[in-house]
Amino acid sequence: MTIETAEAAAVSLEDVSVSFGSHRVVRDVTLDLARNRVTALVGPSGCGKTTILRAINRLHDDTGGKVTGRVTVGDLDVYGRDTQPELVRSRVGMVFQRPNPFPTMSIFDNVVAGLRLNGVRNKALLHEAAEAALHHAALWDLVKDRLQTPAVRLSGGQQQRLCIARALAIEPEVLLMDEPCSSLDPIATAKIEELITRLSSDVTIGLVTHNMFQATRVSHYTAFFLLGEDRATGELIEYGRTVDLFDTPRDPRTKAYVSGEVG
Amino acid sequence: MSPVATTTGLGTGSPGDGGAGLGEGAARRRELILAQSKRSLGRRHLAGRVAVALCMVAVAISLAPLVALVAYTTSRGVHALSVDFFTKIPTPAGIAGGGISNAIVGSLIIVGLAAVMAVPVGIATALFLLERRGRIAGTIRFTADVLTGVPSIALGIFAYTVLVEPFAHFSAIAGSFALAVLMLPVIIRSSEAAMRNVPRSEWEAGLALGVRRGRVVRSIVLRGALPGLVTGNLLAVARAVGETAPLLFTTGSQLFNLNPAQPTAAVPLTIFSLGTSPFPADQQTAWGAAFVLLVFVLVLSIVARLVAGRLNRQAR
Amino acid sequence: MPDDGARTASTLEEIPPAERTPIAGVKEALQRRWSRPGGRGYAGLRWGGAGLFTAVAVALVVSLLTSSSQAFAHSGLSLLWTGTWDPTHKIYGAETFIVGTLITTAVALVLAVPIGVATAAFLSELAPRWLATPLSVLIDLIAAVPSIVVGLWGLLVLTPAFAHHVEPFLKKIPVLEWFFHGPALGPSMLLAGVVLAVMILPTMVALSRTALAGVALTDREAARALGGTRWQVVRRAVIPGARTGIEGAVTLAMGRALGESIAVAMVIGNAYVIPHSLLAPGATLGSAIINNFGGVTPGLDRSEVIALVVILLALTALVNAGGQLLLRSRAREQVS
Repeated sequence: MTIETAEAAAVSLEDVSVSFGSHRVVRDVTLDLARNRVTALVGPSGCGKTTILRAINRLHDDTGGKVTGRVTVGDLDVYGRDTQPELVRSRVGMVFQRPNPFPTMSIFDNVVAGLRLNGVRNKALLHEAAEAALHHAALWDLVKDRLQTPAVRLSGGQQQRLCIARALAIEPEVLLMDEPCSSLDPIATAKIEELITRLSSDVTIGLVTHNMFQATRVSHYTAFFLLGEDRATGELIEYGRTVDLFDTPRDPRTKAYVSGEVG
Repeated sequence: MSPVATTTGLGTGSPGDGGAGLGEGAARRRELILAQSKRSLGRRHLAGRVAVALCMVAVAISLAPLVALVAYTTSRGVHALSVDFFTKIPTPAGIAGGGISNAIVGSLIIVGLAAVMAVPVGIATALFLLERRGRIAGTIRFTADVLTGVPSIALGIFAYTVLVEPFAHFSAIAGSFALAVLMLPVIIRSSEAAMRNVPRSEWEAGLALGVRRGRVVRSIVLRGALPGLVTGNLLAVARAVGETAPLLFTTGSQLFNLNPAQPTAAVPLTIFSLGTSPFPADQQTAWGAAFVLLVFVLVLSIVARLVAGRLNRQAR
Repeated sequence: MPDDGARTASTLEEIPPAERTPIAGVKEALQRRWSRPGGRGYAGLRWGGAGLFTAVAVALVVSLLTSSSQAFAHSGLSLLWTGTWDPTHKIYGAETFIVGTLITTAVALVLAVPIGVATAAFLSELAPRWLATPLSVLIDLIAAVPSIVVGLWGLLVLTPAFAHHVEPFLKKIPVLEWFFHGPALGPSMLLAGVVLAVMILPTMVALSRTALAGVALTDREAARALGGTRWQVVRRAVIPGARTGIEGAVTLAMGRALGESIAVAMVIGNAYVIPHSLLAPGATLGSAIINNFGGVTPGLDRSEVIALVVILLALTALVNAGGQLLLRSRAREQVS
């Protein structure tokens, strides 16, 4: 797939395939996430978009998924022989489908959990990072007076923003978001989308979504995935600027899906 | 309205607008955090390896005494085994020979009777919990859970006060009663769990055919839950058969006896009285009895797990 | 049982038409049947079972309280803090036994809790599956070893080993000697605690393993995605997440240690003085009941022993109820 932009890539995937045992879930994906842009990964469920996202921060390492091909984050060869997966993950933040703040931790401890896991003990740095991250996640005014209360007391949408703050606190270059709004109501969803738009000026975002409207609302680029002809392995069908992909899809399958969604 | 029409100019918009800007602080923090992450990674990996090693030591400590115990009991116990051991009754204290036939038969009678008492009541109570929500069911469930932890010696004394004292003599039945009370909560909770695994739709299919509730339960729920019920009840029996404290003041006798209303010997009691005897010959018999008990309990547990394993496979 | 009728009738709409019996008028017949309660026999069975079970539980408490009433009338609550047990002079005190019970249980927990949680963490989080599964099965099986067999092994194998090797060795350790002084006899509070630890370890491991396995995958992935190492994920996300469950496991294991009688009676030495060292022999509530109940005459003496049973029962019921509530609050947390 040709990359139709002159923008610099923060993440590059070249011929990436992921298999679990003998089942190839997704194959031969070549894709760039442009720096400080939102790239949406869309397509029907089961076509490998989440699998591809999780390949970027090596989250398949512990679940038995085998990744082939080449992934780079900045200058870092993610699956390089000497690359430590922990160091990849401290440069790549991730937000999951359902809000998953650590249930036993306070709001503050949740936000700085990433820093602590990365060995940061400096109190001033912890506080500075927590405040900045909560500001970015538009939570600061809401929680600044109750940083020590358990995170699970927050509402679902607030929990998800807390998880975004937690991911941002380690100042990642890349933020991976795996259907971050799938368990939220429309109002909470709108807030997260607003947040994504705002964050995109500072961080590269990979966003998996099944919601085509969401992709058009927040993303600059869109990658469309579909199950290949064997009905078992996902493939990247088309990749381009969101405007182009939705207005003038080149592949008939993209066109069918894009119009079929609402038709 | 198609998404094509709603596509905003976001893709073409300038990337910077609306952003708060992470600014200088962010870049500095990023560098600090990444540096600290790199610097500490070696230490973090080392701490992990030390922790894993300590956990492995813990596994060894967990297993060692129990494995040693089983191995030692086996090595001492097999020497005691002979035809006489299973067919004769004990010799007088300190004298070699004899067997524990009285205790084996007694244990089978006592535990068999206990199961006869506990299993029907336990399954009926489980059905009650299955069909009823609310405070009564909650209280019974909580009582069962707390009763699981009641010291077995308390059950023995309880059986003594209600079944030994009034009749002025020990009996197998009194021991069985104590063991039945011990087994009940285990049976109730495991049976309830097993029957809950039978899908509601199967109940409803039966009811929809016009079958009475009682028969639906018998032919669909109990049958569907059978492997789980067998597992739970076998484990309860396995637990009861090794219990000593509930029998200590309820069954006691060394005679060979088949009448449940009379004093009856039991294997755990034999181990206790012979094991605490100063004579090596008695201790040898105690090891033999312990080995027999151990094998019986382990075989019951393994069978129970195999039945449960079959259940799991069927469910898949 | 009106609710039964209502519930089954409401399922009428859910039956696909193809499965309905295609005979005219059968619908009415079915509804007649559905509206009928489950059958007297079946309802009677359920209520009978639940009733019998409740009756037994009530009878247990009532009979032990009645049988011990004479003792509580004689000694009152001072039974709890009197240190002498002297039936000949009609002095009855449970303090020695209560202290012994608490000390042996504490020794057992100090040994079994860290080892048990670490073992559970290894089996549930760190070990490869081919190793974890057989080891877990082995520990589960070993949990079935009857306490009398553990007691026999403690009496005939551990007692001489402790007298000749373990206890003399412990006495030489600088700081710990404060706990371990006096003659090394073998039967002791320490040995009783060790035997109890062996007995509660499988419980600790099994329940902790369940608690650890119950921590959501998303919590683990969150920690992993933030750059945590494998152990950090376990230490910072999994173990804290399982905390309530582990506390429940500790409480239930503690209940078992408090209530164990036969194995303790075989190794504790049965001395009726408050021990000043872990190497000293002592007695627990359970061992005192076993050693006294057989020989006493009906009347006050027996009532006093049954009072010990009531104290033990109250102690374990308290601890177990606490443990159950902890395990339940964890179950609720996971639902919400």
